[in-house]
Amino acid sequence: MLVFAISDKGGTGRSVTGTNIVYRHALQGNDVCYLDFDFGSPTAGAIFSVSAVARGTRDRNGLHEYLRGECPQPRRVDVWAESDREGLRTRPPGAGRLVLLPGSEGGGELSALTDELIGRCAQLFGRLEEEFDLCMVDVSAGRSFTAELVLAATVRMPAIPFRWLVFHRWTRQHIIAADGLVTGDDGLLDVGARFGHDPEVLRDRIRFVRTAVLEPDAAELVGLRDEQRAWLSACDSELRELARRHGVGRTAMLGKVPLDPVLQWREQLITDEDVLASKIANAETAAAFDELAKKIVDDSAWEGL
Amino acid sequence: MLVMGEVQTGLLQNSGEISESACRQVLGLMAGETVRVSRRPIVHALSPERLTGVDCALPTASRSRIRGVGTVVTRCAVTGGRVAQGSTYVRVVRSETDRRLPWSHYLARPGVVEVLGKAKAADLAEGFTGDPAPGCLDLGAVSGRFLDLVQASPLLDRRAPFKMARTSLRWVAETGEPSIRFTLHTERERTLRLTHPGPFTPAVVDLCEDLALHDWLLTSLLVIVERARIGATPGAQAVARLAPAVDHLLHLWMPAARVEEWLTPFWESLERRPGFTRQWRSLVDRVRDQVAMNTLALLTAEAGRR
Ligand SMILES: Nc1ncnc2c1ncn2[C@@H]1O[C@H](COP(=O)(O)OP(=O)(O)OP(=O)(O)O)[C@@H](O)[C@H]1O
Ligand SMILES: [Mg+2]
Repeated sequence: MLVFAISDKGGTGRSVTGTNIVYRHALQGNDVCYLDFDFGSPTAGAIFSVSAVARGTRDRNGLHEYLRGECPQPRRVDVWAESDREGLRTRPPGAGRLVLLPGSEGGGELSALTDELIGRCAQLFGRLEEEFDLCMVDVSAGRSFTAELVLAATVRMPAIPFRWLVFHRWTRQHIIAADGLVTGDDGLLDVGARFGHDPEVLRDRIRFVRTAVLEPDAAELVGLRDEQRAWLSACDSELRELARRHGVGRTAMLGKVPLDPVLQWREQLITDEDVLASKIANAETAAAFDELAKKIVDDSAWEGL
Repeated sequence: MLVMGEVQTGLLQNSGEISESACRQVLGLMAGETVRVSRRPIVHALSPERLTGVDCALPTASRSRIRGVGTVVTRCAVTGGRVAQGSTYVRVVRSETDRRLPWSHYLARPGVVEVLGKAKAADLAEGFTGDPAPGCLDLGAVSGRFLDLVQASPLLDRRAPFKMARTSLRWVAETGEPSIRFTLHTERERTLRLTHPGPFTPAVVDLCEDLALHDWLLTSLLVIVERARIGATPGAQAVARLAPAVDHLLHLWMPAARVEEWLTPFWESLERRPGFTRQWRSLVDRVRDQVAMNTLALLTAEAGRR
């Protein structure tokens, strides 16, 4: 299964949520890999705490070079072996492989789509799919050549299953923008159709994920005045109504991740140790990632809308 | 001087094994030439051979730059309708001249790369089976591309019963006093050094492909047994994870089935050490014991309910 992670705006939590989902999926016993296709700022290495590739690889063997045909195979980082974080450096019993394919430091965005580029991308996806239960691709924010690239590559491999996750924050602007990225001009459906996807089929393969959500009944809000709580509640129901109108509502949502103090301060994986031992992260956050990691392959969560 | 090759082996990307006629279609990469199929003791289909022109540096252990020009040969195989291979090899010979000749010269010698300038066979052999510098002749990349073509065939449903990485076997064969050395490098990379009596024939390639196939089977079974976590998970769950091995792999073990008589001593020597079949048998026994014990447990539970 290929999963493409996208968001309309930058800084929505796409990378942090995506990496935490693959981490949880690996803990659930699956072989997973994470492809950093955010060519402008490949920072997945930092989230996995692999300092050697914190901002991408410097050895001319990253995804950039691979896609440009400058190296035969992109570098693979075995997170269980190469992470600097103590708690990640041993593979827990029963966990699957956790592999990062880093981008290249200073690589830059794609500036054009060529047939060779699409061919190499399709070849990479095909090979990884033979090997991994889940391949998550961080497609970067907004409308980009990268999004076009993966739309074009997936058309060439009709038998390979893929899904899209659109990440957005729980605000007016984000809800409208997330809908626009899917259904608007030059959005995923529009561009997908141009490359030969059936828009109806494509629509069914897209789900939304709400990030850094502050629920009106969250523990963080305990000290609020009644007036403030009432106001928040009203906002929340307004947003729910707005989301429904924009097709970003409950039915099209795969899940939501609560606002977490740790993630607000640092981009990282939330381990069980962070929740149970040092107690710096909230159990609800880890549970939300765990749930998303299951739903992503659960066909009942992906039935037609 | 020497022959070098690289075989990539992987699970055919289909839910079940494919029929002989499907094998023919999947492997018919080149129109006009037919796929060769042998049926006993296991269905084995071999594609026509294809040439790829090369003009590049050859890998050397000394890192000296040696240029080779010519063509390499690739073929693909499907065994038991289940395991796919891409296999590329080339005979490396000294050129009569120091400069590059017109392509017609090289095209008249398919599967031969001529070395321009001085080169030692040992340097090339060690370079190729060692850690080839980037940018050198990469037979694995060629094999991989042809294997991709097979795996992308519209006849395959891409719903393979389990995920498994490809393995790569890089080999060098030379004429001389018989010897064989098989080495495991990373999880997925193996090398083979072979010295055989008499001149090279394509039967040597058959041997390497057969070894690569069995090494992949063994590696895959090891991975599946590890994933099953026997003893650490409930029996029924472990058995469910072992099921794909029973359904798709266990019947494929046929060492040396397609190896010519004069080369079988090489297989036999590898059977003594590292002992492929010995390890395979012990794994198969382990799988079968798990299945049997789980069946017994189910029957006992059933009897208890009555
Ligand atoms: N659930 C959460 N709770 C609190 N903060 C979060 C949460 N998820 C993400 N963040 C924070 O939001 C910021 C942006 O997250 P992230 O880098 O994952 O976004 P992105 O969409 O990948 O951004 P970019 O487009 O720049 O790549 C980070 O500081 C991250 O730690
Ligand atoms: Mg990011």
